[in-house]
Amino acid sequence: MSTLEVRKTPTRLLLWFLLGSMVVLYAFPFLYLLLTSFKTPLDALAVPPKVLPDEWTLANYERALSREGVLASFINSVSAATISTVLSLVLAVPAAYGVTRFRTVSGRVFVMAALVTRMIPPVAIGVPMVGMMRALGLTDTPTGVAIAHTTISLPLSIWLMSSFLESVPDELDEAARVDGAGRLAALWYIILPVVRGGVAVTAIFAFLASWNEFLFALLLTAIRAQTTPLVIANFQTQFGLEWGAMTALATVYSLPVILLTLLLQRYIVAGMTLGAVKG
Amino acid sequence: MGAAATALVMAAGMAACGAGGNASSSDGAETVTVLVEGGGKAELEPVAEAFTEETGTKVSLVELPYDGLYDRLSSEFSSGSVSFDVAALDAIWLTGFADGVEPLDDMFTDEVQADLFPALVEEAQVDGTFVGMPVWTNAEILFYRTDLFEDPKQQAAFEKEYGYPLAPPTDWQQFQDMAAFFTQDTDGDGTTDLYGTDVKGAVETEWLAHVAQAGSPGMVLDADGNVIIDNAEHLAALDFYTEAVADAPEGASQVDWAAAQNLFNQGQVAMTKFWAHAYPQIPEDSKVKGKVGAAPMIAGDAGIGAVPGNWYLSIPKAGDNKELAQEFIQFAYDHNDLSIDSALGLAARKSAFEKYADQPGYEHFEALIATLEGPATMPRPANAKWQQIVDTALIPMLQKAVEPGADNQALLDEAKAQIEEILG
Repeated sequence: MSTLEVRKTPTRLLLWFLLGSMVVLYAFPFLYLLLTSFKTPLDALAVPPKVLPDEWTLANYERALSREGVLASFINSVSAATISTVLSLVLAVPAAYGVTRFRTVSGRVFVMAALVTRMIPPVAIGVPMVGMMRALGLTDTPTGVAIAHTTISLPLSIWLMSSFLESVPDELDEAARVDGAGRLAALWYIILPVVRGGVAVTAIFAFLASWNEFLFALLLTAIRAQTTPLVIANFQTQFGLEWGAMTALATVYSLPVILLTLLLQRYIVAGMTLGAVKG
Repeated sequence: MGAAATALVMAAGMAACGAGGNASSSDGAETVTVLVEGGGKAELEPVAEAFTEETGTKVSLVELPYDGLYDRLSSEFSSGSVSFDVAALDAIWLTGFADGVEPLDDMFTDEVQADLFPALVEEAQVDGTFVGMPVWTNAEILFYRTDLFEDPKQQAAFEKEYGYPLAPPTDWQQFQDMAAFFTQDTDGDGTTDLYGTDVKGAVETEWLAHVAQAGSPGMVLDADGNVIIDNAEHLAALDFYTEAVADAPEGASQVDWAAAQNLFNQGQVAMTKFWAHAYPQIPEDSKVKGKVGAAPMIAGDAGIGAVPGNWYLSIPKAGDNKELAQEFIQFAYDHNDLSIDSALGLAARKSAFEKYADQPGYEHFEALIATLEGPATMPRPANAKWQQIVDTALIPMLQKAVEPGADNQALLDEAKAQIEEILG
């Protein structure tokens, strides 16, 4: 074993320890959620708390999934998140493309301004949003919820796509245009395939922003368009908290995004490293 | 790409209307939309069904989480445009929303008032105007383990030690005696495994009930809005409350309703003061299932006292359907007993509770009625900043008070300063 390797071993161990600690730190809350979903009501609230159930049960899943409105809320969440993601990408990609290709001062200001809107607390725009959606007849529809969610995801999408498109050399556009492609054709056929990892990352962030959003869904929905986060929250009432059923539904609700992330993992990794090395 | 397009088309299709059914009736029938907290929806479902059956008018119960309901109401009232015809309001919100709801004075006839508990009538009024019709109420009563209280060995040992028979406690002294007595090492392994009671440091209502029992002219605030949290009655109540820490499981500062309920259901405590609705909800797998008795809340110098957990139905001034809304509220009052046949099993009218009190499964109603009629039972102060006072001053103070060595008078003085600052 060389001196270099000997010196590396403690560092590597330390890194593995840190990595392991991080995994435990991030994974434990979800693991606890998962385990709680299999506990009886007494175990779920045991004092002191128990990590593993004394008795494993699926009753929480039965109770959560048989609750009125759960399936409908799931469909609403999927609808709102899908529409919101598409809207975000359709608006953010051309906006980011324009900003990164024309490189004007106003374009830079626009990207910064878009990011600044993220600093406004959603509750501040909640009340005017309710009035606006009511005037448009969009309250209690997933479309209304999706539009509201797009106000959250769009600024981040523009910012993310700008950083991804920035890494694509202008020569690619120029080559496409020499071959007779217009700006939009160059974007669609040449640039987007290059940054598809970035698009995947942006899409996931936009999807998650809508999937997990609570406040706008609370303010804008009643019966037809309630999303699952609201239904999960309904397990907490003035009279107590149904931990078992709540964690069961939260587990079920988190599965699609976990699967989506695993499915798009290749693109996400590609997107994360996109622009890391500029040519 | 094809799958993505299909998903998008499906999402767009669902987005047009939503998957949760119709909020407004599509068959031309009128609909009353009622905003209600998740736990209270079950209370209104039987009433809504009966209303639809009798009048043909549909009732759409919009269920929201407790905090979410408050946020939704706040935003809609402040926008001046509302999406509902009736709202079920927690008593502590009435003052804050009073300007946005219709007066209901004409509904409160003498006959109606006579069939409601005094605290409910008092709390329904803001500045002399009735702004909500009580729909259900609740109060903390005493839950005790019958297997312990009726055990001849325990009875003999208690009487020998304290000089009077073991029976559900009725006052502070008896409660303290029994809490100390039942704090036992039942298996002889040198560790306490049964406690007399719990102490809830993370919620304020139970301490406020003791403040009322002590005879304070008000809870935290007097009738003129002056902060009286430092008076002798508040101190006596806090001393009584915190002395029980010695006879309670560890970690009192973090014990809230859910934790306390579980401690009792796990058989770790002999007595708990808890909301009456929990009596029929003891889980089948609980160690104490079938071994629980219910008694009225204990009494202090001013008698039995509790803080009622009242909910009211109110009509927004900005509503489009006010006549229909009032018709629904009248119906809910007239058929208040229907709510008892629900998961929570609560009502607001005395006659509704009395109708069920002698039936099996409703043994706790007698205790609940006695508690709600207790001479010291009083509502929380009608102040729009009450929730802020609770969160900012009362709960932090209680959490400090249940720690060893706490100076209760100093904590009350500190809380008084904080509350005066909140009230400006």
